[in-house]
Amino acid sequence: MEKILEIANLTKTYGKNRGVADVSFTVERGDIFGFLGPNGAGKSTTIRSMLGMIRPDSGSIRIFGKDSRKEREEILKDIGYMPSEAVFYDSMTVREVIRFAADMRGMDCSKEAEKLCERLRMEPGKKIRELSLGNRKKVSIVCAMQHRPALFVFDEPTSGLDPLMQAVFFELIEEYAAEGATCLLSTHVLSEAKNHCRHLGIMKEGRLIAGGETEKLTHTNAKRVRGTVDGEKKDYLYSGSTNGLIRELAGKDVRDIVIEEPTLDEIFMEYYRES
Amino acid sequence: MKMKTVFRREMKEGGKNLLIWTLSIGLLGFFCTVLYSDMSGMTRDMTAMFANMGAFSKAFGITTLGLETMAGYFAVEAGTIHGLGSALYAAMTATVLLSNEEDRHTGEFLFSLPVSRGKIVAAKMLSLLTRLVILTVVCGAIYQAGFLLVGESVPAKEFISWLLAELLMNIEISAICLAVSAFGHTNRTGLGLGIALLFYGFDKIGRITEELEKILFIGPFSYAEAADIFAGNGIPVKAAVFAAAVTAATVLLAILHYRKKDLAA
Repeated sequence: MEKILEIANLTKTYGKNRGVADVSFTVERGDIFGFLGPNGAGKSTTIRSMLGMIRPDSGSIRIFGKDSRKEREEILKDIGYMPSEAVFYDSMTVREVIRFAADMRGMDCSKEAEKLCERLRMEPGKKIRELSLGNRKKVSIVCAMQHRPALFVFDEPTSGLDPLMQAVFFELIEEYAAEGATCLLSTHVLSEAKNHCRHLGIMKEGRLIAGGETEKLTHTNAKRVRGTVDGEKKDYLYSGSTNGLIRELAGKDVRDIVIEEPTLDEIFMEYYRES
Repeated sequence: MKMKTVFRREMKEGGKNLLIWTLSIGLLGFFCTVLYSDMSGMTRDMTAMFANMGAFSKAFGITTLGLETMAGYFAVEAGTIHGLGSALYAAMTATVLLSNEEDRHTGEFLFSLPVSRGKIVAAKMLSLLTRLVILTVVCGAIYQAGFLLVGESVPAKEFISWLLAELLMNIEISAICLAVSAFGHTNRTGLGLGIALLFYGFDKIGRITEELEKILFIGPFSYAEAADIFAGNGIPVKAAVFAAAVTAATVLLAILHYRKKDLAA
């Protein structure tokens, strides 16, 4: 499979503050790659390095096989970026911002933009300063998608979007991915990553602590155990086999017991604890 | 095409400010010009009065031409208003020219588009230059309307030389403030205005202080003094060359730094 994004040993510090350290991963064509981690984990630093907004201290980033620093302008032609903060020029209308983004690409994207505006139920005549965060996010989605790029980079895309629009957003991603586009989705919403991403990279404190197929990373033998054992209330995560758990409980006074799958949050908390 | 898009947006965004400053400076100069006929009886006395004020009169160029002629009166009154007003506008506009994108968080959008930072800086600088030219030309036209209204005139060659010197002065000040903008992550309008006022103060003090007079040429106001130019002294070459060097160096510094700097989120 063709590698669309290759990051090798990326390191970036901000003075004495940590950015990212020795981050390496690849994303293949057509993949929806979830870049997961809590706030401050280094996701945005990685993305901003990819787009040439900041200069890494060391390491390399190749996008479409090209060096992200030397061929930045060429690479950006085929990237659709949606930043976490959807901020545009206040005095412009939605239509003007969308047109501005298309003009900067030297493209006429009016048909695709119109289609996207319709799907996202936007009002192109409104001034940016009149828009709520959710509506500004929609403008950001159109600007990122209207030129049908080969690589989408979304940084916390759904914050501020209502559930209906979140669903439309993911529908759009699936549609573009089906046509061969690749997507890097940075998020701290675990369900989003599990439901929509085929591969995941998990960041913690500036380092990539785990990576691989979503199914494998989210599969676990651990069980959440809740109940009253020997007169004591119990609520813990058991990480052995089911037979082992039964053996552990045998001979004890078990009044009530609930054994269930751990939540997605608990699975990822385990990753953060382990690393 | 991309540079044109950025240029157009900058012009549109800065249009209202340009209009306000141009009309404010131009109309103030216009009213001063129009008042000349009402004050013509008093200007001889005023010149005599200012002649006794020594350093003050020298600092404002009153002793150079006096106030009895339209050229002398215009140079002192409108020259001061235009010089200081346009310098403040140039400083204010240039100080936020680049830092605005980070200050208002629009940089994440703009710099994710396929255009080099160099081209963005070039388009923004071109828009600033265009605005300075528009301000100079429109104000010049308004002053000419004032001359026509009172049936007076000033020598055309000196008038054009003075406007050109003012434009060069504003370009130099904005180049210095552009470097401030390139290094900052937030808008520092106060610092920009402070730089313009500092240069103005340096020039006024320099004209009455013997020690400073020798290095007066390093300040941008030194070669744009209306009274000197209307007196037929032209634009001092030494000061103009120094200004060109400062302008080139600060613009280069701004571009080199801005192309490599880490942009704030």
